[in-house]
Amino acid sequence: MISALTRAWDNLLGVGEAAVTVPPLDGALLPNRLLDEADVRLPLEGVDSLATVGSELLASSGKVLHVLGDEAVWGLRHSFETEIAAMAATGDGLAVALASGDIVVEGGRLDGHTYRAAPEVTCITALAVSGGDLYVANGAAQGSPDDWQRDLLQRGASGSIWKVDLESGASSRIAGGIAYPAGLAVDGGQIVYSEAWRHRLVRIDAANPGQPQVLHTDLPGYPGRIAPAAQGYWLSVFAPRTQLVEFVLREPGYRKRMIAEVPRPYWVAPTLRTGRSFYEPLQGGSVKHLGLLKPWAPTMSAGLCIRLDDAFQPSLSLHSRADGATHGVTSVVEFRGRIWAAARGDGLVVAIPLGELGDGA
Amino acid sequence: MTPVLELRNGTKEYRGVPAVKDVTFTLNKGEVHALLGENGAGKSTLTKMLAGVVAPTAGEIFVDGQKAQIRTPAEALRRGIAMVYQETSLVPSLTVAQNLYLTDNKHFHRLRGIYIAGQQFLQSLNFHVDPTALVSSLGAGQKQMVEIARAVHHNANVIIFDEPTSTLTPEEKYQFFSLVGRLRERGVSIIFISHALEEALQISDRITVMRDGEHVVTDATSTFDRDSIIRAMVGRSLSDELYGAQEGRTVRRAGQKVLSVQNLSMQNIVRNTSFSVFAGQITGVFGLIGSGRTEAAKVVAGVLKRDFFHGGQVRLNGRPVRYRVPRPAVRDGIVYVTEDRKIEGFFETMSIAENIYLGALAGGRTRSLTVSMGEMKAFAAEWTEALSVRAINSDARVIELSGGNQQKVVVAKALVQKPKLIIFDEPTRGVDVGAIAEIHHLINRLADEGIAVLVISSYLPEVLQLSDRILVCRQGRIVEEFEGHKADEETIMYAAVH
Repeated sequence: MISALTRAWDNLLGVGEAAVTVPPLDGALLPNRLLDEADVRLPLEGVDSLATVGSELLASSGKVLHVLGDEAVWGLRHSFETEIAAMAATGDGLAVALASGDIVVEGGRLDGHTYRAAPEVTCITALAVSGGDLYVANGAAQGSPDDWQRDLLQRGASGSIWKVDLESGASSRIAGGIAYPAGLAVDGGQIVYSEAWRHRLVRIDAANPGQPQVLHTDLPGYPGRIAPAAQGYWLSVFAPRTQLVEFVLREPGYRKRMIAEVPRPYWVAPTLRTGRSFYEPLQGGSVKHLGLLKPWAPTMSAGLCIRLDDAFQPSLSLHSRADGATHGVTSVVEFRGRIWAAARGDGLVVAIPLGELGDGA
Repeated sequence: MTPVLELRNGTKEYRGVPAVKDVTFTLNKGEVHALLGENGAGKSTLTKMLAGVVAPTAGEIFVDGQKAQIRTPAEALRRGIAMVYQETSLVPSLTVAQNLYLTDNKHFHRLRGIYIAGQQFLQSLNFHVDPTALVSSLGAGQKQMVEIARAVHHNANVIIFDEPTSTLTPEEKYQFFSLVGRLRERGVSIIFISHALEEALQISDRITVMRDGEHVVTDATSTFDRDSIIRAMVGRSLSDELYGAQEGRTVRRAGQKVLSVQNLSMQNIVRNTSFSVFAGQITGVFGLIGSGRTEAAKVVAGVLKRDFFHGGQVRLNGRPVRYRVPRPAVRDGIVYVTEDRKIEGFFETMSIAENIYLGALAGGRTRSLTVSMGEMKAFAAEWTEALSVRAINSDARVIELSGGNQQKVVVAKALVQKPKLIIFDEPTRGVDVGAIAEIHHLINRLADEGIAVLVISSYLPEVLQLSDRILVCRQGRIVEEFEGHKADEETIMYAAVH
């Protein structure tokens, strides 16, 4: 009763949960065009996750695992029966999470081993390996990773983090009730995860997960995978936040009808790539001026990856703005002196020399 | 042709600090002369000398070629010189018509008579203002119209407009421009002060640019374009000497985000503005007067209230906060150092020690539960020494101090509250050059100590010299951000006026 009254009051005044506001892109997140200006742009339709194993850069695309060849051409490494959901290097091999929930190790000492965090874990979004343990982020209790927009619009908070012993295969749940954990990193025995729908980075102690510590909150987008860098970490932000979506997220009736009646591509929801159909929301003057897409337009998709320092605070960012062509960055890794970003929205992998990123890199 | 109004070698000093230095200015009959320059360039002071509001320290004024002594605005009006002020000078408790006829020679008016005459007069100017309305009930634009009408009513042959269009709607601006055209046809000479360069280029015959109180250039409007005006406005050698060059400067890396202002709105002054302030960094905010910088900062500090409905959000260290009064903001570590220290900064008849102690009381930083004279003296001794406040002793009244030392007392009053975020609004306004350097040093020291510092300034060299990041405010919102060491004056000014 009290919460309903509070919600009604907040809705009336536009405060608290109903404050339809979005943090600005400023400071270290000041917009630029670095992703669009990348000198290496390798098309790979459906690219999702990147990982480095030894001297190889691997990329997942649908059911296929690709490897980057010497002449900057993608070669086939392996084809799985189901879609690849996430990947992480195990040291000498590669752990590949499939959409079915199974985790398979490719190459190395554990080649061919198969793990499963739990039968109900079917929405794996990220993996991380530390010592002999594999950490698994399960975005939502139901649905698949491709169904992330529905989970957001339903304001899901059923995600969980699991630990799997790579030797014994034993698994245990570390944390639950997370609003879509989409990225994982291991920092000195502690787990840092990105909680996409709450736009924040959280640290938990794997041994004592009761007291999560919020490292960074109120990000201007939906944070995704985290990858270690030479100094700090890289965070991919797969979609930007907009005031329109924030507003829709506070209108349960509208969302329910939209999900039931409107085809998914035309939902008022963040996406990995927008502007492909005139049926989409946000058209005309809101995003275009004299027929040209405004770079600062509040579109449903953009490209953004953030360099985090050791304290997980942003120190530098790479952008593809509303009118850019490198949207929907789902994975970022450092490899051979370059930063490699998988732009799933535009189906390509771009690379930027680390030396070009200035003081922050 | 004899100029209708001329100032020869005019100088005006305030407490020995020159606001206008040796400026010669001429106004021809029937011309519109635009007077341009940054805030503090001396435009308003120059025109106030011509309108009899302030007396020149040196120099001569000639009206129609005859040397004239203009001591009061009434004397200026008798000589046909009227000024329409930036801040309206109307009496709010009187009606529009009463204001129009207030300074007439006739002492007794029939109310009905002035309403009818006022109605006809306002209609002749195409101003849709009710002559029977109280001035306090009018909007800013309508007040401006009444000001303009009053100047025209006095049959002035020289009218000085100080930022006349800043509060007008586009339609009202159009009407104003056509009025200026009609006045020019009638042979009225007009001095037009504006920050809107397009307007100056559109309606003026000649343009004069001032900088740091000095005359820079006067020429026909056709010889100028926007870029050349901006160059003339900002390119200064004096500031290079005072504030140093940008080359070789480094900026501090941002720490934690301390303040996040998101989609903040306050009436039509702050419009859906968003910005962040980081620990250990100086964030400079540049904007012209009226761009909403001060109001946004005041909302953050609880001095002003944001819009009641959907007014946006302010987050302090990630936590949403909403202050309706300054006290909880101060308790949370937000301190606002006002731009108007005499009105809002200190109690002028109280001593330095008392003022500083008041700051400690407000911030809840005192150890004793009651007012303790010993503690007050200890605070005063600590802070007057730390900030080098020059006074006979800490019992001296603040009113007796120089502008620079007064400002240091205001800063001490703020720092004693141990802020996490400190907002300086025009920190060196009315402060002498020596104290400017000390205050700048202090601001830098605060950032080095890890405090988040926001500096609002209308003076570009100050913003450039101090800031690690520079935000530009225009028409109620932050429109651009620059890195402190990469920005230059022209780019910032372009963003502020474009």
